[in-house]
Amino acid sequence: MLNDIILDIRNVTKEFPGVVALDKVSIQIKRGEIHGICGENGAGKSTLMMILKGVYPWGEYDGEILYEGKELKLENRSIRQASDEGIAIVYQELTLVPNMTVGENVFLGREPKTKTGINWNKLFADTQQILDKYHLDIDANELVKNLGVGKMQMTEIAKALSENAKILILDEPTSALSEEETERLMEILRVLKSHGVTCIYITHKLSELFKITDTVTVLRDGRVITSQPTNQMNEEMLIGQMVGRKMKERFPKSQRKPGKEIFQVQELHAIDPDDSSHEVVKGVSFNLREGEILGIAGLMGSGRTELVSTLFGEYGKIHSGKVLLDGEEIEISSANRSMKNGISLVPEDRKKFGLILIQTIQKNISLANLDQFSKWYKIDFMSENTATSSIAEKLAIKAPSLSVLCQTLSGGNQQKVVIAKWLLSDPRILIMDDPTRGIDVGAKYEIYKLMNELAERGIAIIMISSEMEEVIGMSDRILVMCEGKSMATLEQNEFDQEKIMALATGC
Amino acid sequence: MSDTVSYLKQQLKKNFQTYAIILAMIVIWILFSFLTEGRYIGPQNISNLFRQMVITSFLAVGMVLVMVTGNIDLSVGKLAGFVSVIVARFQADIWFNYIPNHEVLTTIFSVLIGIGVGTVFEIIQGYLIAYLHIPAFIVTLGGSWVLSGGILIITEGKTIPANQPVFSVIAQGYLSPTVGWIVSALVILFLIFSMLKSRRNKVKYGFKPLPMAIEVIRLVALSVLIAIYVAIVNRYNGVQIPVMLLAVTAVVMSYISTNTPVGRYAYAIGGNREAARLSGVNINKNVFRVFVLMGLMCGISGVVLASYVGYGTIAAGQGYELDAIASTVLGGTSTLGGVGTIFGAIIGSLIMASLTSGLQMLNVPAAWQYVLKGIVLVVAVYADVYLKKNR
Repeated sequence: MLNDIILDIRNVTKEFPGVVALDKVSIQIKRGEIHGICGENGAGKSTLMMILKGVYPWGEYDGEILYEGKELKLENRSIRQASDEGIAIVYQELTLVPNMTVGENVFLGREPKTKTGINWNKLFADTQQILDKYHLDIDANELVKNLGVGKMQMTEIAKALSENAKILILDEPTSALSEEETERLMEILRVLKSHGVTCIYITHKLSELFKITDTVTVLRDGRVITSQPTNQMNEEMLIGQMVGRKMKERFPKSQRKPGKEIFQVQELHAIDPDDSSHEVVKGVSFNLREGEILGIAGLMGSGRTELVSTLFGEYGKIHSGKVLLDGEEIEISSANRSMKNGISLVPEDRKKFGLILIQTIQKNISLANLDQFSKWYKIDFMSENTATSSIAEKLAIKAPSLSVLCQTLSGGNQQKVVIAKWLLSDPRILIMDDPTRGIDVGAKYEIYKLMNELAERGIAIIMISSEMEEVIGMSDRILVMCEGKSMATLEQNEFDQEKIMALATGC
Repeated sequence: MSDTVSYLKQQLKKNFQTYAIILAMIVIWILFSFLTEGRYIGPQNISNLFRQMVITSFLAVGMVLVMVTGNIDLSVGKLAGFVSVIVARFQADIWFNYIPNHEVLTTIFSVLIGIGVGTVFEIIQGYLIAYLHIPAFIVTLGGSWVLSGGILIITEGKTIPANQPVFSVIAQGYLSPTVGWIVSALVILFLIFSMLKSRRNKVKYGFKPLPMAIEVIRLVALSVLIAIYVAIVNRYNGVQIPVMLLAVTAVVMSYISTNTPVGRYAYAIGGNREAARLSGVNINKNVFRVFVLMGLMCGISGVVLASYVGYGTIAAGQGYELDAIASTVLGGTSTLGGVGTIFGAIIGSLIMASLTSGLQMLNVPAAWQYVLKGIVLVVAVYADVYLKKNR
């Protein structure tokens, strides 16, 4: 049993013009284990997944993949064939139909039939049976749009299981989950394991690897660096192997000295612009000093994102409370207005809100600042080019040229493009909503360093973070939020994971 | 030299779609030329073909930006038709009664009124779409019905003549051969001048200009094309005034789309509306502006239409919106927004006109012309989708 290999990846090599994405990668996945795969962006994880998904079909790569001892020849098929083989992928971006019920989603495309149509009773009964078997606490009749992100993901897992998946591939499954939901997912994975389901677990979050996996494989530059039982590793070793250098500290030091107070929020209340009965910010007060990093901690749904987008003028309607800049009340009405006040927002989810993926790096960087480069309604390409090149260089955006489309960049570089866009507008206050989500350790370190530099230059930074360690490691002070309210602002000597968690859950 | 080659390769890859569609057009031309024993590329047919494409081309040029923002405008055909009957009404009745014997002046007035009517109508539609957030599909569908009614009211169901000599020049006039050559020489001089200026500018800002060889090749190729075109049409009646109007309009619109914030914002809105909004782009205002530009184009198109057919009728502009949309899509504009060029739309429009003209010359019955055009459109877009996936 111990050496029962279900998936044997042997010497897989995949080359793209000019790059070897995978270089003789061999990984053995044992039946019934949870196998973690980690590595920096560009290490080859996604290419490996693309091969397992069949996006790069059999024949386009060298080497072989044995599944249950037989060679797996994946054609350029859709998700369907993967399920025929018993390998299912739980996508990072959820692929459910929001206006259908859980049951309909689980059996989408494979509905049980009667003579004349769909056998609804069987469909819902079967769904519920699967949900109950794996302790997924969901009602099969519930509409998917009414579920939280965590339960949507469970629905995806149920869908895979209903297709008799033997191997479940989870690609960054917790990037959208709160800590509590992550905890739930871990429990479910343990249940799956006890039922003999094999899981391949891809993540950036090292703590999860140690919590859940049996074996960890580290990829770097397309090669397997190590693949060994998790209990023989520790975090420092793992990071060292991922980045190829010993990283003594995950958060760079900074000598910044916060200056005078420039920004104040007093008892802010705001409502959802689409639903005036729904209050999203229910009383938040804080202040912000020049050259400091103020962290905002809170669980998903604590109103963190709603707060900062309201302050930027692009979401909630403020119905009471005051926002003061340099002691004077300011009008908050639109992104444009806020930029003129010197407030910039690096939004969450760079692909959805931060970037125009089908446009070039240069156009993305200059988008928020076209007025700077325009005279008489004409864009001065030369000054646009000069300004964007110099900022791209400063942030060390890695790309062959600025006319490369953003969709081809890695997550870390994409995030840098978004930050570059906002630095070009020369902000005094830079709000960053989960700036390191979904990017690898090395790129994270660079973003941290950049944030320190900006703070040292006197820019006040507000940083939302889903990772407790990050918020503690980077902030001068931490504002903890819970259900739309600010609970407390902690000074550095009061930072403590348990204390923050208690405040974030204590309302 | 290797610089030049690698640049050309890169360009070919980047503008693959544009080159593919130009190639398709050449294939169509060669095919029809064979089938018609060369009459197809004779001066008379070439001259007419370019003249025929003008009216929907104006609409297609405006449609590019509308579609780039992720919208659509189904009213443009009827709007051009409405403008044409209004202009015809002024030409036929009103000027004659109030300011007779001032043909040049009245023509200018007619043009201004036509453009004004087109713009005002799109200002209203643009306001409903951009500021009140009613879907463009619905607003412009409704708009086209309103305009159908408007056309009936203005014409009272009759045909209105608009064939006054000066007014007719707009769509039926030609430059004399000499003037044609002078104009083309000026255009070529301007191209040389602007190339040199842009190189100087690049050097000034410390950027590497393109290899001189490439710029020269491009310039020579363009100049030769212009010269060949002028030589051909001069053998018939000369350079067509409406084609010149279209060329100028297309250059201006192309400039707006690439060199001004309005254009840049349109592409940003279509590319990712949320990201554009969070970057401080005023979505409402910029969508509105694009519809106003569309109105301008409809106005011009309507005036040219009245002058081209010489009268205003109840069927004016019928179905042109679909031709315009087809041309735009053939030219590479995405129905999802964010992608598209003016140049592509012009080529798309030329392909549609080339097909129509060729099929007419071969005496293909009208019914089959429709069938073939429909198939060509769908196949062309499929080819594009297929090539994009398998490149």
